[in-house]
Amino acid sequence: MKAHNTIRGLFAASGVAVAAVVLIAVPVQAHHSFAMYNVQATRIFTGVVTRIDPAPNHLAIFFAPMNDERTNVVRDEDGEPIVWSVEMAGSAQMARQGVSVNSFPPGTVFSVGLHPLRNGEPGGTRDGGLYRCPDRTPPEPGMHCNSVDGNVAIGDDPLATPTD
Amino acid sequence: MVTASMLASPALSQQVAESDFESVGRAWPLEHDLNEYDLVGATMRVPGSFRRDPNAFTGSARAGETPPGIEPLERDLFTSDDFYKDRELWSDPRYFRCNSPGAIEDMWGGNTNALIGDDPPASAPWGHCDRDYPRESIVSPYPFETAQEHYEALLAETRERGGPTEHTYATVPGEWTGRYMHPGRTPGNQYWFRTRHLQVPTLLSILTEEYQTRFVQEAYHQGNTNAAQWPSAYCWPEGFMRRWHAAAVWEHHIMVTPALVQILAGVARNFITNIHIGREFNMEGRVPRLGADVPRWYGETIGFWDEDTLITWTSNIQGWKTHAAFDHSNFMQTIEIYTPNRDADGNFLGLNHETVFYDPEALVEPVRIIRNYLKTSGFEEGDPYVFIECIQTIFPIDGRATPVSPGQVIEYEVPDMYGRPWAQIWEEYFEQDMDRPEEDDIFSFE
Repeated sequence: MKAHNTIRGLFAASGVAVAAVVLIAVPVQAHHSFAMYNVQATRIFTGVVTRIDPAPNHLAIFFAPMNDERTNVVRDEDGEPIVWSVEMAGSAQMARQGVSVNSFPPGTVFSVGLHPLRNGEPGGTRDGGLYRCPDRTPPEPGMHCNSVDGNVAIGDDPLATPTD
Repeated sequence: MVTASMLASPALSQQVAESDFESVGRAWPLEHDLNEYDLVGATMRVPGSFRRDPNAFTGSARAGETPPGIEPLERDLFTSDDFYKDRELWSDPRYFRCNSPGAIEDMWGGNTNALIGDDPPASAPWGHCDRDYPRESIVSPYPFETAQEHYEALLAETRERGGPTEHTYATVPGEWTGRYMHPGRTPGNQYWFRTRHLQVPTLLSILTEEYQTRFVQEAYHQGNTNAAQWPSAYCWPEGFMRRWHAAAVWEHHIMVTPALVQILAGVARNFITNIHIGREFNMEGRVPRLGADVPRWYGETIGFWDEDTLITWTSNIQGWKTHAAFDHSNFMQTIEIYTPNRDADGNFLGLNHETVFYDPEALVEPVRIIRNYLKTSGFEEGDPYVFIECIQTIFPIDGRATPVSPGQVIEYEVPDMYGRPWAQIWEEYFEQDMDRPEEDDIFSFE
């Protein structure tokens, strides 16, 4: 396998069993149960998009969370990026909000809150606002995209408040 | 029902539609009728037919042999351990042993009747090095660089002719509505996209460098490693370009209304082409679209009538692949023209379907396909369209498509579906020691 600092090698080599996880925050007419998520918990991530999946269920963003220094991404013991997924609304609805394959290409830096999976796997369902950083411009250490000049806010909500 | 006289009609040869005026962008002549060309590669196919026959060898040298007068390359697709290093050889048909793309996927029995021989893959047979379909009959003859230019020119021309025609239920050409014969089994209806009448370098000549690499990668794993990854085998999407593949769309069901024309076909997946008459695309964004900014597997289509000719523009297509052909990108767009074929007495026989493909990411210039739909009946008789739900029974195991039985436990890695999942399999299992091009590092911000 090639070096895993690339997108295509990432999924194939890291064995990320991300199984199209994740959903939207407002599943009024959902295609599946959201009971797999712990809505009592909220985590905030700033990460690098590896892929958007506009699947018929709900759009999911796959991303590699950035390190605290915001210089690279968090990696596992083999040096491979750890990939999370965050599930949102349907792909058409998200596109109307500004989240699409075209507006969030691989390499996009963004910040989002999510309710994590109960089983501890790296996935969650979106909670609160979503912010996209300007192109190739990550936040300062420990900060999120809502702090970066020129960020794009998706929706009217602020970034969620973490529970821990 | 279709009659013998219809089957024999000269209107069904691979010719452009008949027109009583010289158009700016449709029905321009096609110099070479592919139906008059011989198969290029080594297969067990009966020429001009879907049938295979163990005695119908179409190549120039059987497995383990070399055709007379041909000097083989020291290193070719069937002996190379790294096709990436062989790029300078890809323009030589001998690198592929003069086999067509379609023939390469037959080597190990992809379509039954394996030909690869007793010492695979090195014993692969040869096709005919002196056969090929001319490139000039593959590329578009029209001067347009984009689908938008093409569509607007046709629309302007139609306006000069007093159109577009605004049909009502009383005037819409209802004779179109009905069932049409499987294009691949329609007599005299072969066209180049089936890739059995052309050399691989000819196909590569229409592709950009990246998409050339993608094609040879697939050819290598079809012909050398025997690790074919056909999307429909896994119930993955077929992809837009498979509308033109003989094995992906059988009978076509067409329904015509004033506001919408629907074309329905499929085998492993449903191909539904909804042509929205008189609509206009939203031109804001990366590609023209009708709905949300979400690439659609089979695109979105608008169109207009010029009397009884239907002219359409399809955009917002999800990039994917066609095995034994080429990958297409999210920038693929088509202009398609449907024109009635009629006999000498003016009776409706079916439709001539001319398509020009624009994909600046995959194609170095636009290409064209011409084919015919032969109407066999209305909807008042015959089998109904069967909506297809593909349930996966074949899974990639150790890099090879493998049937799996209920109850069997396998290790399954979730594919990255929008990152060429077929290539991920090849790269993980068969290209570990190859010298692949590096990709950009998107994770470092130092």
